[in-house]
Amino acid sequence: MNWRLITDDGVTAPFGLAADETLAQRVGMNLSEPTLRLYTYRSHCALVGRFQNVENEVRVEYCRENGITINRRPTGGGAIIMGEDQLGVALTIPGRGEDNYNHARELMGNFSEGLVRGLNQLGVEARFRRKNDIEVNSKKLVGLGVYRAASGGLLFHASMLVDLDIALMLRVLNTPFEKLSDKGIDTVAGRITTVRRETESHITLDEVRRVVADGFVSAFDVKLIPSDFTVEEHAQIAKSEQEKYLSEDWVYQTTAVPDSNGSAKVKTPAGLIDVSVTTAGAIIKAVFIGGDFFASENAVADLEASLRWHTSQPEKVAGTVEKIFQNRSVEFNGIQAEALIEAVTKAVSRARVAERQMRADPYGCYVNPGGAYA
Amino acid sequence: MSNKTNSYDIPADRAYDREHHMWAQYESASGQVTVGIDTLGLASLGDLAYITLQAVGMPVKRGESMGTLEAAKMTGDLIAPVSGVIVARNDNVVKNPSIANQNPYSDGWMVVIKPSDWVNESTQLVSDEGLPAWVESEIKRYRGQGWVD
Repeated sequence: MNWRLITDDGVTAPFGLAADETLAQRVGMNLSEPTLRLYTYRSHCALVGRFQNVENEVRVEYCRENGITINRRPTGGGAIIMGEDQLGVALTIPGRGEDNYNHARELMGNFSEGLVRGLNQLGVEARFRRKNDIEVNSKKLVGLGVYRAASGGLLFHASMLVDLDIALMLRVLNTPFEKLSDKGIDTVAGRITTVRRETESHITLDEVRRVVADGFVSAFDVKLIPSDFTVEEHAQIAKSEQEKYLSEDWVYQTTAVPDSNGSAKVKTPAGLIDVSVTTAGAIIKAVFIGGDFFASENAVADLEASLRWHTSQPEKVAGTVEKIFQNRSVEFNGIQAEALIEAVTKAVSRARVAERQMRADPYGCYVNPGGAYA
Repeated sequence: MSNKTNSYDIPADRAYDREHHMWAQYESASGQVTVGIDTLGLASLGDLAYITLQAVGMPVKRGESMGTLEAAKMTGDLIAPVSGVIVARNDNVVKNPSIANQNPYSDGWMVVIKPSDWVNESTQLVSDEGLPAWVESEIKRYRGQGWVD
C-alpha cells in the first residue's frame, strides 16, 4: 500500500489547518490519496480546539502585540502553540467503504504507534495514553486529535514537541500555572516534555521528521511516496482558507457551553491538597493538582491526565482516582484517594455554581451558537 | 418494545441510520421527523462536551452535516438521516450536551426535520424486524474496531 508523504515548513495557520481539513474531506470522497503530512507552522501561532472560546484560552492582546496568529483547529482538545520546533503530523485516510482500516479508537492506537515507533528509534520510551496523549514517564510529549469529516474521511492530527519555549507558552496561553515565574515553568516542565529534553541532544526537526516517517512505514506497513498537493487540492485549500480559516467568525466563534473554574483545598495529615478545575458543562476539561504535599510528580501528572476530558459525575471521578491509586498509591506518599476525590469533587461543584451564576447573568459570556459554522 | 443488548438500548419505535447511528422518529400527524443519536453512536463517541446544530429554517440533506460535536473521543459532524428543513432545534442539548448521553431518546433529541422525501429515504434506514440483526452486527463491529468495550 502506498501513501503520499507531504513535507512542508513555515506554513501559515490558515493554510496549515485548511490543508488538513481539505485532505480529510477529499480522501473520504476518494478525491485525494491517503496522505501523511509532516509539517511545521511559521513561528508562532496559537491554535485553540474546535469548540474552545479564544478569550478563555489565549492572551489575545499579547498575541496581537507580538505577531502571534490565533486560529481554531477542526480537531478538539486544548489550546497549543505551534512553530518551527513543533512537528505537525496529519494523517488523512478514508473512514469507510472498502478500505481495510479499522476505526477511531483502534486507529488512534495505530496512529500513535507510528509516532511511538519513531520516538523509540531515538531511544525515547514513549507510550500512548488512551484518548489523546503520547507520554514519556507521565509527561506529555505529543497531543493527539481526531476529526471525522462529513464525507467519512478521517484526520488524525498530532503536535509533537521537538522543543518548547515554556515561558512563551505561559505568556501566550491562559493556564492555571503561575506566569513568568520559575515556579510556573517548573510546574509545566513537570507535566510536559520535549524530544530534545528526552534525548538530551539538539536533534534537528528534520531528523525527528525522518524517524517519524520511518515509524509510520513500520507501524502501517506502507510505502511513503514523497509528493505535493495537487492543483485541485491547492484550489480547494485556498477556498477553505478564504471562507473559513481567515474568517474571524470561525476563529472567534463562541459556544453555548461556557467554561467555568472552581478550586478547593483539603487539609490532610500528609499535607494540603489544592485542586483547580476547568469544566465545560458536565465535562472536566482541565485539572491541576497542587499543594504542599510530597508525591511523585509523575503520579500527579498521571492522575491529572486521567481526569482531563472526563465526566464530572462524582462516582465516575471517584472510580478513576481509585483506579490510579490501585497501581500508584505508594507514590502519593500518604495522601489518600478519598482526600483527592473530595478535593476534585468540591472544585467541580464550585465550578458548577460559577457556571449557574454566569448563565443567570444576562451580560455574561453565554452566547448561543449557530450561523455559518454550526 | 426495544432491542436491549448488552446495555445498548435501541428502541423499536423509530428508524436508524445504519452508518452514522442517528435515530429518526416519524410522526404521521405532523409529518415531521425527530432526530437524535442512538446509544451505540454515543458509546463510540464518549461523553459529549459540545454540540452545534444548524438553525431553524436551514435545509439539510441526508448524509450531510447538520451540526458538529466534540466528544471525549473525537470531533466530527452530526449527519442528517433524512433530507428536509429544520423546523425545531433542541437548544437545551446545545447548552448541556450531557442530556444526550443521559436521555438519548427523549430529552436528548437534536432537531425536528420537515422531510422532503420521507417515503423514499426512510427505506434506507433500518427499523422494525431489521433491527435485531443490525444491532447485533453493529455491536460486534464496534467491539472489533475498538469503539466500544
